[in-house]
Amino acid sequence: MARYAIVTDLRRCVGCQACTVACNAEWDVPAGQARTHVRATPLEGAFPRLVQSPFVAQCNQCDRPPCVEACPSGATAQRDDGIVSVDRAVCIGCGFCVEACPYDARFIDPRRRKVDKCDFCLERVAHGEQPACVTTCTAHAKYFGDLEQRDGQVFELVYGRGARRLETPAVAVGPNVYYLGTAQQLDLVQKSFPPREPRLPAAGEGWRRVVRPLVLAAVGATFLGQAVAFFNQLAKGEKDFED
Amino acid sequence: MSNSLTRRRFLGGVAATGAAAAASRAGAQGHPRGRKAGRRVETVATLCEMCFWRCGVLAEVEDGRVLRVEGNPDHPLTKGRLCARGNAGTGLLYDPDRLKQPLLRVGQRGEGRFKPVSWEEALDFLADKLKKIKAEHGAESVAFFPHGIGSRFFGTLMKAYGTPNSGEPSFAQCRGPRDVGYRLTFGQGLGSPEPVDLEHAKMVVLIGSHLGENVFTSQITAFADGLASGAKLIAVDPRFSTAASKADWWLPIRPGTDIALLLAWMNVLIAEGLYDQAYLDAHATGFRELAAHVKELTPEWAAAITDLPAEQIRETARAMGEAKPAVVVHPGRHVTWYGDDTQRARAMAILTALLGSYGRKGGLFFPTPVPRGDVALPDFPEPARERADGAGTTYPLASEESGLTNGLIEATLTEKPYPIKGWIVYAQNVLESIPQPQRTREAIAKLDLMVVVDVLPVEQTAYADLVLPEATYLERYDPPVVVTTAKQPFVSVRFPAVEPLHESKPGWWIAKELARRLGLSDFFPWDTPEQHLAAVIEPMGVSASELRARGALAFPGRPYLEDRTSDDEPHFPTGSGKIELYSQELKDLGADPLPRYTPPAEPPRGYLRLIYGRAPVHSFARTQNNEALHALMAENEVWLHTRSAQELGLRHGQRVVLENEDGLRGRPVRVRVTEGIRRDCAYLVHGFGHGGTALRRASGRGASDTSLMSRVAVDPLMGGTGMRVNFVRPVAAGGKS
Amino acid sequence: MRTDALPLEPVPLSVEQAESMLQSHLKKHQVAIVLLHWFNASVWGLELLTGLALITSPWFRFAPAWLVEMVEGLFGSRANLIRFHVNLGLLWIFVFLVYGVFGFRTFLAREVLQKEIGLDRDDWRWLIVRTLRILGRSQEPLPPQGVYNAGQKLFALAVYSLLPVIMLTGLVMAFQLFGPAAVGWAVVLHFAAVGLVVAGLLIHVYMGAVFPEEKPAFFSMITGEVNEHYAYRHHFKWWREVKQAELEWAERQGAEGRPAETPSSPGPGPTSPA
Repeated sequence: MARYAIVTDLRRCVGCQACTVACNAEWDVPAGQARTHVRATPLEGAFPRLVQSPFVAQCNQCDRPPCVEACPSGATAQRDDGIVSVDRAVCIGCGFCVEACPYDARFIDPRRRKVDKCDFCLERVAHGEQPACVTTCTAHAKYFGDLEQRDGQVFELVYGRGARRLETPAVAVGPNVYYLGTAQQLDLVQKSFPPREPRLPAAGEGWRRVVRPLVLAAVGATFLGQAVAFFNQLAKGEKDFED
Repeated sequence: MSNSLTRRRFLGGVAATGAAAAASRAGAQGHPRGRKAGRRVETVATLCEMCFWRCGVLAEVEDGRVLRVEGNPDHPLTKGRLCARGNAGTGLLYDPDRLKQPLLRVGQRGEGRFKPVSWEEALDFLADKLKKIKAEHGAESVAFFPHGIGSRFFGTLMKAYGTPNSGEPSFAQCRGPRDVGYRLTFGQGLGSPEPVDLEHAKMVVLIGSHLGENVFTSQITAFADGLASGAKLIAVDPRFSTAASKADWWLPIRPGTDIALLLAWMNVLIAEGLYDQAYLDAHATGFRELAAHVKELTPEWAAAITDLPAEQIRETARAMGEAKPAVVVHPGRHVTWYGDDTQRARAMAILTALLGSYGRKGGLFFPTPVPRGDVALPDFPEPARERADGAGTTYPLASEESGLTNGLIEATLTEKPYPIKGWIVYAQNVLESIPQPQRTREAIAKLDLMVVVDVLPVEQTAYADLVLPEATYLERYDPPVVVTTAKQPFVSVRFPAVEPLHESKPGWWIAKELARRLGLSDFFPWDTPEQHLAAVIEPMGVSASELRARGALAFPGRPYLEDRTSDDEPHFPTGSGKIELYSQELKDLGADPLPRYTPPAEPPRGYLRLIYGRAPVHSFARTQNNEALHALMAENEVWLHTRSAQELGLRHGQRVVLENEDGLRGRPVRVRVTEGIRRDCAYLVHGFGHGGTALRRASGRGASDTSLMSRVAVDPLMGGTGMRVNFVRPVAAGGKS
Repeated sequence: MRTDALPLEPVPLSVEQAESMLQSHLKKHQVAIVLLHWFNASVWGLELLTGLALITSPWFRFAPAWLVEMVEGLFGSRANLIRFHVNLGLLWIFVFLVYGVFGFRTFLAREVLQKEIGLDRDDWRWLIVRTLRILGRSQEPLPPQGVYNAGQKLFALAVYSLLPVIMLTGLVMAFQLFGPAAVGWAVVLHFAAVGLVVAGLLIHVYMGAVFPEEKPAFFSMITGEVNEHYAYRHHFKWWREVKQAELEWAERQGAEGRPAETPSSPGPGPTSPA
């Protein structure tokens, strides 16, 4: 089975945002929202010794995606090829996954009121095309491919040239977006855009920690009570209850 | 659109089957552009015009609606890549604020009150006015302000009408000095795209160029290719640009002192024997004069001027010497800065020559000519009077083909050498992109006729007597583009993807209809774009249908010296047939035959030099109303150094107005406090602060650098307007923040 | 026989009386209510099943994974599953709206508020005795009950207060109203409300379908009637009300000079139809 990944070369990226606009046009993402964001790390140092790196964020299609567990309706699911897809028809727009994503790659599309995010353009990929961001990238800074393909370019960039994932010891969910760059760029990006702990909004936390156990207990207790009564009934025989 | 083809063809063998219906279930979200079964989406190959790089695009069309545009993988230069603006093309096409019908002014100039009229009425009105001006004041009294390839048909019309007066900002406010300086040195100008072999460079030198924020798709690709292959990068810029963040050396130079740096670099190269002696021996003249000229101009001399450490100047020169000849000293694009711009371009050209880079892999490459045909036209009438803008006379090296926008405005204002009575402005923004807009306004007030042909109601349309709504690039045919300055030269063409919306009309139709009314139909001896295209490509030996299907067709190129074996093709078509390090032509004009550093005016106490540039998501003042691009950057910020802000008591994010030396005030703009700029500069991204109210997204957002340019330094050689000679001070803005 | 001849509290019945009362039937539910009950029951069954299968996350789900997969498989896709759940829910809401609007005076105001959810002292006592009896801890007779016993009332109370919650939160989710935060809370409330109802529902179903003493109640939801004996034993207050109404009606008939079709009066024992 395929394991899709994107490698972004920060040495090449000039931060032009072509990827953002191409993606928005490709997927009809409303202006003001985006599936892929281009950012820059905060300027560091003092004039004239300054350092800065561009950064491109998108869904990492994590190996252990916290968004999948956070999705109450099962709209978000991980495919066999690793791509985390969202079924809009199933999404109820609760936004739990938006909070759960350590990379803030998800958003609620205000027009459709459903969650949206990058899915590596799986519709294009299924047609033998590259993701829109990869195709359009003016700096040719993005590479898309299958990590299982040992003779592929992405395999070479990841395993041969040491492209790095954006992870921390605390949040290691197996992202499949890799970054190439100078050591300085990678450090800046790691420092400025580390993944955060997955979390749930209060409603989700309340559900998970309080409501679900309570409901389980209530239904369980009632069920047990009924069971006792039922066995009581069986033991005594139904006649006893009849008039 | 009959020749359009489905996207399948472009994808070649990538897709498994030919039928869109074969789409397997790939994802649950569906595809907005109908990659799924049942939808018929046509793909039309055409050329982008979100800026003027003319990248190849494919417009995906369904039921007469462009769903989106994406890069054309068959385009020899851009190969399917497209920048943010290009990807936002439908935002222009479907901009709700577009000019929708011809408008005749009913209120005062500038008031913006119009009545819609029919094309018949509009063109009759215009033809009558033009006839009247010609009869009363002579045809030369009409000046033409064009921009872009769409203006060609109007250009023909204006020449046929009898006026020589035409001014393109791409010359006098942009690339003019560069093309003149390089022509003086190498015998030919650079053109666009400039022939820089970035992908093979071992060293890239950017002087004031902020490639990266200034995005030209194919050049960005080549730049990134070069860097990825290990090219070193020197970024000379008073601001910490994106390029500077990738640079091996950032040289935050004191503005206006670039010539000193260039001369000091030459000094080191020559003193340390790091120049390409064999190349110069074979191809150049004037080395001895140059060597003598720069002998004393040491890094130590330049350090005091440029505010850069001498050691850094020496080190960078040595690095260039090591990398030669694969060095791209990027000639830049907008280079009208301080009025000595032709000389600075000369210095850059000379540096390029010292490094042996022109015609060499990894340096600058030779253009390869492509024969271009044209429809047979009668001779244009000889204008009764000389040009009014001084091109070729007052400014001996100004291009008469491009003309001087500022010269025409000046002539209108002063009525010298003769009064200008009518302006036809085509796709140029005379108020928001040409400096000294207050003078432009005064000039407009003197006109009998002001016509604007445009797509969007930018501020100047409010001053027009007649506004003609033009079709966007996705709705019109334009003359084919022949690019010779690519390693593989090519021809490409713009054809409409959809019918013009509203009552807009393509430029060719407007020009042709106007010509008919002026009795000048002989100059438009063709009825359809197809006929025009056929005449232009006739000598190229390509088929029109293939060109339209693929959008562009390339020819073999001869970019490097070693490719140019034919003796009948001079390498360097200067007077001497060699690279002229020492310019006899300049000497004969009474100018410096070798570039000399002249100090620029320093900012008065309390003022900062206003510098400006571009953001990757906007083109000039053209794209701020585009929904997608507006969402990414709605307004600009004024960059101030931490210390400058501190001294002025300004906080990051606070709104200020910029006030220039002449007391002109800009619109409120937020402060960006940063270490990434020199303390003596304030930086704005150009194109914001639109006047008027007709652009509902863009109007009034951010500040306009142009509005603060009450002064210019005119280049005495080519007549361009140096625009980095204005000083501003930020004043805290009252009210909303 | 006069109305005050009816017993104030249940008295032991003779075999004959019991036999006779077993043959006689009292109308307990109108057809509309019977239909509504079973419509409601099927909706609950289906919505519960699909709803359980909709929650896949191990953090939130109630049903085991195999059930989720099985139900999803049954519907072909999660999209179908949620479409079914939402559309059936909308139909359910629509039916209840119609019921609420057209049946406001007949059902809601009279039946529901007075008889279905108002608990008196007997009801509270009944709850305790009933529980003790089920658990085999008491032989004490049950306090007399109205048309619905306290257990049913309690359940009805819970259901009537939770139904709007379930419906409204369902609508919020189905149409993503009021933004993601609202939808987030709606999911939780929906789940919690349904959970509480389900806890009650277990008792309701057990009492109605499994518990032998209440078998007539189960069948009343099919025929609309219960035998008088069951009514006398389990819903004495209601039985007395019905009887009183019958007697009063008969008295009025008599006063108007018509032949009194008085039901036979067994003296101190309960009245039984002729």
